[in-house]
Amino acid sequence: MPGKHLSHASDEPCRRCKHNLSVLVVRSEPLCHDCFARYVHTKCIKRLESFRVHFGAEQPPRILVPLSFGVSSLTLLHILNRHLQTQKSKTGRTGFAISAVYIQDPGQDLPAEHWLEKARQQYPDHQYASLPLHEVFRLVPDDASLQALVPQLEHQGNASPQQRFAHLINSLSSATARADVLTTLRTRLIVEHAQRIGCESILWGDSTTRLAQRTLAETAKGRGFSLPWHISDGASPFGLHFHYPLRDVLKKELVSYTHMSEPGLAALVHETTPGVAQASMSSKNTTIDDLMKQYFESVEENFPSIVANVVRTTSKLEIRPGAAADPRCSLCSMPVPGGRFGIHAWGGDQQDGQDFTSSGRNNLCHGCTRSIPKPVVGCSGS
Amino acid sequence: MPPSPCALCKVNRALILRPKDHSKLCKTCFISVFETEIHHTITTNALFHRGEKVAIGASGGKDSTVLASVLKTLNERYDYSLDLILLSIDEGIKGYRDDSLETVKRNAEQYGMHLTILGYDELYGWTMDQVVEQVGKKGNCTYCGVFRRQALDRGASRLGVKHVVTGHNADDVAETVLMNLLRGDLPRLSRTTSIVTSTPSASADPASDTNIKRSKPLKYAYEKEIVLYAHHKKLDYFSTECIYSPEAFRGSARALIKNLERVRPSAILDVVRSGEDMAKLVPGSDEGCGGACSKGVSAAEEEEGEGGCGSAQGRSTGGEMASVEAQLRQNEAAVDGHLETEITTKTINGSGKQQEACAANGKKAKKGIVPKKSSKQVMGQCKRCGYLSSQEICKACVLLEGLNKARPRNHIEVGYEVQDVSLNSVRDELDATSIRRD
Repeated sequence: MPGKHLSHASDEPCRRCKHNLSVLVVRSEPLCHDCFARYVHTKCIKRLESFRVHFGAEQPPRILVPLSFGVSSLTLLHILNRHLQTQKSKTGRTGFAISAVYIQDPGQDLPAEHWLEKARQQYPDHQYASLPLHEVFRLVPDDASLQALVPQLEHQGNASPQQRFAHLINSLSSATARADVLTTLRTRLIVEHAQRIGCESILWGDSTTRLAQRTLAETAKGRGFSLPWHISDGASPFGLHFHYPLRDVLKKELVSYTHMSEPGLAALVHETTPGVAQASMSSKNTTIDDLMKQYFESVEENFPSIVANVVRTTSKLEIRPGAAADPRCSLCSMPVPGGRFGIHAWGGDQQDGQDFTSSGRNNLCHGCTRSIPKPVVGCSGS
Repeated sequence: MPPSPCALCKVNRALILRPKDHSKLCKTCFISVFETEIHHTITTNALFHRGEKVAIGASGGKDSTVLASVLKTLNERYDYSLDLILLSIDEGIKGYRDDSLETVKRNAEQYGMHLTILGYDELYGWTMDQVVEQVGKKGNCTYCGVFRRQALDRGASRLGVKHVVTGHNADDVAETVLMNLLRGDLPRLSRTTSIVTSTPSASADPASDTNIKRSKPLKYAYEKEIVLYAHHKKLDYFSTECIYSPEAFRGSARALIKNLERVRPSAILDVVRSGEDMAKLVPGSDEGCGGACSKGVSAAEEEEGEGGCGSAQGRSTGGEMASVEAQLRQNEAAVDGHLETEITTKTINGSGKQQEACAANGKKAKKGIVPKKSSKQVMGQCKRCGYLSSQEICKACVLLEGLNKARPRNHIEVGYEVQDVSLNSVRDELDATSIRRD
């Protein structure tokens, strides 16, 4: 079994160094401890070509690493930290500087400062910050469009960001919608924070498995149009660059890595959303994201290359020329082709006429329209 | 709780929870809204022109039966002035096709439409039962799919029809979108999402059977609503799945679609929309090649079949995901090869470094590592049958050649066209052998 570790492979020598005994099988290759670590590092670092040491540059560019304290984002921080040390020892300089940020979800009891402090002790050379998610209402500059998403709040001009945030989330009618809007707002807050502290790029911790989940989940939510921006390295519509350095490493490989790496890394891991795979599928609280997570966790087990191929294939989708000039969705901020907002602007909905659900105030893309409740009364939605 | 009134007419009692958006409707309003939406699909996409002769690909199943019924209704109500006929393909599968064909025959009478049945045995000299006997249950869907694409086109051409409509519904299209994402086949994803797929003719001959237009008027209709419509209209349809199994990828995608629908009913339509939008982002999708430039099969041939079968890609059934996995792994090994092993796979042709970057970024479809690629191909005609093909010999003829090689007795067989009514072809085979020895 690929990725299953110990016992299974222990009588075979490592396929790479041909010297040590293998400790696990990675994509049908038995590897020893060291070669496996090298395998993960190499896959990550070859994605960081643009962050090599530039001797001409006065200051290395600052990058933002959003931390969730899950396996993937911490492993990314760990490898980046290691990479910086290597750069420093080889050249005396560094190719980049790291800021990390942790976004606190509402109702989450993880003591952010405590965990950030632990991370700081483990990786002391970097900047750390934490922000509550409702700050998105304070920080995102053109927040009028965001606030208008919750009509009841218009006359409560003095409501605090917390109140506005709670209002918005409470107005959402399904678990899928809540998960979707939270993710979108988190991304916007992270982007805003990155710009405020002068980061040129955001390095996300998403694994191959996670990107494949994203691909199918966004497809299922009607966001096929913006898919290239969700999973491709490069310029994002937000004006800074997105990178996914762990895009070639499977989630289960990252899990093995944290177990086998130095204990300081594993001690930091704090999965905030454990056991989705165990959640009952009949539950009303199941989300599209959960569904895809569960699906790819099972595919990853026996068909890891199929997972990788989904991501590789989807990154071949090209960004439309002129997309930057298209009007943006008020919520997710993605450029909507030809400004065809809403769900009725599309023939497949089989309704003539213009979109009456998202009135003139809000311009929402197909996917966000599905999540945000309709201002028109009487429709239960999904 | 008091009975709720219909959300549309506000008069009758609501009896139907609409699968698509969970609105509560009465029977009359459901039927009318279902028909109106198909009418909307037809008019906004300008699927038909007045006086057009249109063949409905009829299997006797729910989709094509509803399609025939709705088209007849709309044709009369909105005066499309279409000449509608039914075209059925008899694959020759006992216990499946002969029963469903009886249904089609009744439909033809009920709707007053002319029916033509075209058999695989007539077209290819082989029924599907015989093919299965020869190649086994694994992989026979490939034969069925390849044969059927051509069969519909040939049948249409024989009838002088330029337009065939099929019963593909929203669930089928959504399934195909997810399936092609899982298989990593963007060109096919791009083609199968469009409502019309017409094959540009390779020959100047207007009577050629290669420029037949295909369309799917039920593309935005939910499978569950099709079943409801058939039920409430008391339509006569045949509801058995093909007895030979579907492919693994489609099965996997189908299960996902069903789960998605449960979580959010609009998801099926949302996947269809995503598929249409993604089709515009596929590299080279708008370079004027239509659907014809890939894989050497016509757009029609590339289409996914109803009911889970008919993928030209489906080499085997159960092991399909495993075999794709194995293939991909080989490619990955080859790509990683420059690091420490010798490069042996033929997909590698550049320097190692470049290949690596290309595989990872996936910028160039042409250089791809994955076998199925959107490479440009020149379309010509099959030298044997004249069907549109990028190869010298089209896929159907290649498959036939393989089959016929293993059945040398074929050319001296007498009265072979009645093969499909014989009960035991194993016995026939033995008889034939012994006759030849005589």
